Amino acid sequence: MGDEKNTTNTSVSGTTASGSISGIRRSSRTASRKPKKDQILPGLGILVLIVISGFALSFISKTLAFFWITGNVFGFVLQKTRFCFTASMRDPYLTGGTNLTKSVLAALAITTLGFTAIKYGAFINGMPIPGQGFVVPVSLATVLGGLIFGIGMVIAGGCASGTLMRVGEGFAMQILSLVFFVAGSLWAAHDYGWWQLNVIMKGKAVFLPDVFGWFGAVTIQLLIIAFLWIAADKWGKRKAEQSH
Amino acid sequence: MKEVELDCLGEACPVPLVKAQKKLAELEIGDILIVQIDHSCAMKNLPEWARTDGHNVEVEEVGDGEWDVIIEKVK
Repeated sequence: MGDEKNTTNTSVSGTTASGSISGIRRSSRTASRKPKKDQILPGLGILVLIVISGFALSFISKTLAFFWITGNVFGFVLQKTRFCFTASMRDPYLTGGTNLTKSVLAALAITTLGFTAIKYGAFINGMPIPGQGFVVPVSLATVLGGLIFGIGMVIAGGCASGTLMRVGEGFAMQILSLVFFVAGSLWAAHDYGWWQLNVIMKGKAVFLPDVFGWFGAVTIQLLIIAFLWIAADKWGKRKAEQSH
Repeated sequence: MKEVELDCLGEACPVPLVKAQKKLAELEIGDILIVQIDHSCAMKNLPEWARTDGHNVEVEEVGDGEWDVIIEKVK
């Protein structure tokens, strides 16, 4: 998104973002264009390697092979869509753009439905509901942790998935982010016991279907997401009008 | 009318955006700002901001993972 929708407020004819003939007159630098390397063969090679590794991993553990595939697919989607959780939280303030915010909200709405389907399916069949171990208490630590993570990801130029994706893309500066991201995670894991005992366990674990019922929980969560979506949409339009 | 280049290679998002915003504010109407970036995130939010702000924008991929964002200041 975003690349082709510029024709409304530009007078330059035929502007598409993907390197068309420049409509804006520019004197320099056009000659300095580097020849592009053909990346199709290496790409195919890597694809074959990914598939072979997947099979190799499946002999060790089926779960490992599954993680390998979902990881690769997730990374591919993340890179191709230029999806960025950091930008979705930061750009409404910085640029007034809320397109990414709205995509993240849409993704949350879809996962809400998906997770509910999985959990409810297990529930009515009398099976243990999967993933209940991730229903953890809400406390001040949640708010504080979110704040620290938010500051960190804006400075580092990417959240966890964004940093990993850009390191894979070859953005050298964020290898530094990755090093400290790993260091920070290790430190957090080291101290987690203390936090668990003294802060996190003092909060209350809330599983929404227990409180509102299955239907109520989905409805309420989707309504909140819809409300945020509308707010983001209005904010984006207002910011766009202000700047004109 | 002048043409200004802004080297943001190696800078992570949102630094290129903030630098471009400051630089563009110094320029005259009709001037062209060329922001060189290699951070894929800036390749999205920089053009998006500039278009929302009402300028003429083009993105050119000059190398693998390197882009020129060409902004013509119109107001």
